[in-house]
Amino acid sequence: MKKESFLSLALICVIAGLFVSCAQKADQRMVTIVNPAGQPPQTPLLPRAPRVDTLDGKTIYIIDARYPLTHQLFEEMQKLLSERFPETNWILKEKAGTYMDDDPKLWEEIKANGHAMIMGVGH
Amino acid sequence: MGLPAAPIVTSRFQDLAERTASGLGMPREKIIYIPHPVSNKPAAECRKYLEGNNPLTGKPVVEEIVAALTAPLTEEDKKTGFVEEPRERLLKPDTAENLQRRLRENGMTDGLPVILPTEEKIAEMLTGTSRKADEVVGQMRPSPAQKGWTYTVEMVAVNAVMAGAKPEHFPVILALASTGQASLPSSTSSMARMMVVNGPVRNELKFNMGIGALGPFSEANAVIGRSWTLITKNLGGGGKTGITYLGTLGSNLNYNNICFAEKEEALPPGWKPLHVQKGFAGEESVVSVFNGWTMLNYSAYNPDAYHQLMRRQMVALEMSGAGAHHTPDVNIQTAGILVMDPLVARALKEEEGFETKEKLNGWLTENVRFTMWNYWNALPSNLKKAQQGIQPFASLLKRAPESDSPLQLFAPKAGVEIVVTGGETNSFWYAGDFRYLASSSVDKWK
Repeated sequence: MKKESFLSLALICVIAGLFVSCAQKADQRMVTIVNPAGQPPQTPLLPRAPRVDTLDGKTIYIIDARYPLTHQLFEEMQKLLSERFPETNWILKEKAGTYMDDDPKLWEEIKANGHAMIMGVGH
Repeated sequence: MGLPAAPIVTSRFQDLAERTASGLGMPREKIIYIPHPVSNKPAAECRKYLEGNNPLTGKPVVEEIVAALTAPLTEEDKKTGFVEEPRERLLKPDTAENLQRRLRENGMTDGLPVILPTEEKIAEMLTGTSRKADEVVGQMRPSPAQKGWTYTVEMVAVNAVMAGAKPEHFPVILALASTGQASLPSSTSSMARMMVVNGPVRNELKFNMGIGALGPFSEANAVIGRSWTLITKNLGGGGKTGITYLGTLGSNLNYNNICFAEKEEALPPGWKPLHVQKGFAGEESVVSVFNGWTMLNYSAYNPDAYHQLMRRQMVALEMSGAGAHHTPDVNIQTAGILVMDPLVARALKEEEGFETKEKLNGWLTENVRFTMWNYWNALPSNLKKAQQGIQPFASLLKRAPESDSPLQLFAPKAGVEIVVTGGETNSFWYAGDFRYLASSSVDKWK
């Protein structure tokens, strides 16, 4: 009786071991999957615009992109820069629309009358 | 423009600013950072920020402004060409467990396990459409300032498989992807999205339109809604926290993107299904997408007429998200939506005289108003006129802060959309600030 029990137990262990071994092998199987990531857009690299040699005598636009309740930052920027660089004409402008909208008219104005710009978005 | 520029951003947005500049072909731009936040800070504090140092570089802000405008260019600054990120079609083979971890750690999932997109699974998914695998479906951008990513039918199939979708779900997912709308807008205001399915495909795919229509009770609602998040993250460049997703609290609604179907069979006579309102034929299957923030539940027991309750309830939307008056004096109104049980729709038609959805939309758009305190916040230029004694604004100063203002909360063009669904166990509805964005035919993607 004891011998039979021992043999049964041994058989169960062998079978269980085979199952565990198979399961482990299955877990270690190598899988190939297709890349879920898409293709980022190809972007032309833009050269930086030539800088001005000095701020003196230049007109620099300060553009507030109009994030809500941040205009005071740009007013202070104009005051501070005017104090430190009095030979520069610092013009403060608010962009049209919200901070997400384009403002081609303003860009044309800056291109026609300005030498450089500071573009800020407070938050 | 060809002129030198000094960009200034608050320090919390370093990743976003640099990623955006790079995506626009300006990776060498010298971005200057000031402390965050600035909004509503007094002028004196803003002055301190400007007189102080860039918190990221430790250098004086003014010094950096001057350098950005005057420092001579390097040879690197003058280079042209293309910024390109190569894409391998297959990922390096690995065990299933490691691949799950890799996808999760690379931000390619929603945090839950995904179905691994093997070649076999993709081929099976592609049987759900007659379109070619390499056909372009659309373009998606994580924010309006960034360039769009273009994706093919196969790329959408990969993400549909990952979401647990079956081939029969695929045309709806392709239609959704073809709208080009990202489910995870980058806004700090934690936006959510909604998608509504109309037409015969609702019954073919067994969308749940009964009890728990907006809940986790149906495969179609679950996997199609989930696929939008994965498509946005992987094909639209969105959902990268701190880079292309800035929602400070985030939104649990993004897990499923409020994916549900309209119970057209329960619409009262005269009430058109949403897709028919948008110009599609009734027998066409269509997916429509919305953008918003909040859904408010009505679950009180109140003897007042439903449309009056809706009017009072929807005033609360003047405070939700950024929809009420994001840029004062510029974009101050919002949009509304009502998702209502058929019992409510029938009562509105039969007992309250709203023969059509359009009539209810018109009444609510006309009668839901900003409250006075918020009116002044939304229109500071009018407050200035009122304080100068200019009429009719001056007389408005006498109104109590919580009383109605003359300004409609919902922009007349956007109005209030109405969708009917649910199990008719009670007369409840959700009022939300979701704005209609687009609709796309599902049939075209079969």
